[in-house]
Amino acid sequence: MDNKFLRNLYMVPYAVWIIVFVIAPILLVLYYSFLDIHGNFSLVNYERFFTSVYLKLTLSSFWYAFLITLISLLVAYPTAYLLTKTKHKHLWLLLIIVPSWINLLLKAYAFIGIFGAYGAANNFLEFIGIGSRQLLFTDFSFVFVAVYIFIPFMILPIFNALNSLNPTLIDAANDLGASRWTTFSKVIFPLTLNGVKTGCQVVFIPALSLFMLTRLIAGNRVITLGTAIEQHFLVTQDWGMGSTIAVFLILIMFLIIRLTGFRKRGA
Amino acid sequence: MENASIIQFVNVTKTFADDTIVLDNVSFEIERGKFYTLLGPSGCGKTTILRLIAGFIEPTSGEVYFDGKKINHLPANKRQVNTVFQDYALFPHLNVFENVAFGLRIKREKKSVIEAKVKEALSFVNLSGYENREISEMSGGQRQRVAIARAIVNEPKVILLDEPLSALDLKLRTQMQYELRELQRRLGITFIFVTHDQEEALAMSDEIFVINKGKIQQSGTPIDIYDEPINRFVADFIGESNIVKGKMIEDYLVEFAGKRFTCVDGGITPNEPVEIVIRPEDLEITKKGAGKLEVTVHSKLFRGVHYEMTCRDVEGNDWLVHTTRKVDVGDMIGLDFEPEAIHVMRFDESEEDFDRRMEQYTEEEANG
Repeated sequence: MDNKFLRNLYMVPYAVWIIVFVIAPILLVLYYSFLDIHGNFSLVNYERFFTSVYLKLTLSSFWYAFLITLISLLVAYPTAYLLTKTKHKHLWLLLIIVPSWINLLLKAYAFIGIFGAYGAANNFLEFIGIGSRQLLFTDFSFVFVAVYIFIPFMILPIFNALNSLNPTLIDAANDLGASRWTTFSKVIFPLTLNGVKTGCQVVFIPALSLFMLTRLIAGNRVITLGTAIEQHFLVTQDWGMGSTIAVFLILIMFLIIRLTGFRKRGA
Repeated sequence: MENASIIQFVNVTKTFADDTIVLDNVSFEIERGKFYTLLGPSGCGKTTILRLIAGFIEPTSGEVYFDGKKINHLPANKRQVNTVFQDYALFPHLNVFENVAFGLRIKREKKSVIEAKVKEALSFVNLSGYENREISEMSGGQRQRVAIARAIVNEPKVILLDEPLSALDLKLRTQMQYELRELQRRLGITFIFVTHDQEEALAMSDEIFVINKGKIQQSGTPIDIYDEPINRFVADFIGESNIVKGKMIEDYLVEFAGKRFTCVDGGITPNEPVEIVIRPEDLEITKKGAGKLEVTVHSKLFRGVHYEMTCRDVEGNDWLVHTTRKVDVGDMIGLDFEPEAIHVMRFDESEEDFDRRMEQYTEEEANG
């Protein structure tokens, strides 16, 4: 009796948090999505979402998120693998994690400096004889900075998966005649797939709704779903349309989590 | 003509990065089709020998030969050797069939061949019908069998077993000992088995290498090693033994516990200090005064099959006795034993010297 009461009591802060900061906002967003710009109840926002403008926007969001995730993965996997082979692996890991503690905005401004017309990147290009060029406000700089920001989040789960891999399994694969590549493709990669999936989730989903970088680094040349939501709420004041996009973003996130959801096997 | 020896170690030394010597100038030969056991306490270097044969590590100096060819730098995946690991090292993301088929798939065998061979290997280890099970659904004993099937399916010339039974309970372990021995006989390939369990070693092996501190202390058949331990370490490690200090008076006459006894050992310098081993089961209890030694019973432990008693003689030597007779603590009793039960060990005798001496005096015995 007493125990049960206590247990319920412990649940209160959590429940309050979930209701106030998760469930209520989602319901509110859902409610706003059914209001047109004049505050009347209608489905017009949903109709608008399926017009070419917004579908294109969604597609380009997906494309950039995909690129960012893919490049992060290609950089993070070998990095995580090398980290597990180093002597002080946790120190190295910490050094990679530390930049992620710095405010995103600060890092974005730092990159404006680096990629600017007279920044370090262009100085370097001058130096090696390529000559300075427009770096800031390009797709390239957007993807580059986004990858830079997301890489620690990709490395961490992959590092953990690799680190918890039983090293005898690699001996066993070797013993059974597997070359280094076969050992990687048939044993190491499949067994660290869960780490890869987690990494992709934590990069892909936030990358879909990136909005600040699109303005600061990409100079609004890249418009993602996140940018669109921000514009509707702050610039056009069309909260209904902003909410509708948010609803779709939430649906997409759930879909992705479902699709990349993993079966527990072995462990 | 195929050479009888399949693996040869010539003066192999292995040191680790921090200069600790794990194997110290070890030489030995492994013959085809026999069951070998590397026996020793943990950290003695036995697993290092296994890893050198498997190719996971390379020797610091010396040569390793396989089938007459030097294989010091041959990578593990190119060796005709398969290992059964201590923790089995089964691939958790693959089912039983795919685990066993792993090596065959790498060799790009035909699908029909793979299916037939995996089936045969699984039936060899009594796991027919388990093909589609996940590893997580298998018990410890079953995983053990999958690991063995995964090794034998590749038809290697040598199978290495790294303490494969240590994680099983006693009953299953005994059963697996029989099965492994039987399997080795049926397959006719060389098994090299690593263990720290002397009973396991005695029960299963054709040949035992007793290893301590990076050196092979003694090698031979289980009976040889049990009956003629070369030094205190071997006598102590294999079976239970009474080891007392003594003096060799002359050939076939030895002095210990204040008395002189006829024995069957010879070839030792007269009056050389030696150590005497008598196995507890070779000591017979007699009435007081009727035995060769007079002792007092100090403690008694019921072991099920027998009583284990510690007795002390007048010189202060402790004697461990196994008996089914009922004797009380504090009793004065006599201990009797045959001359064959006395085994004389010299201090710091190498295996070569030991063998030479054995040959010499058994020859003399035959001639004289």
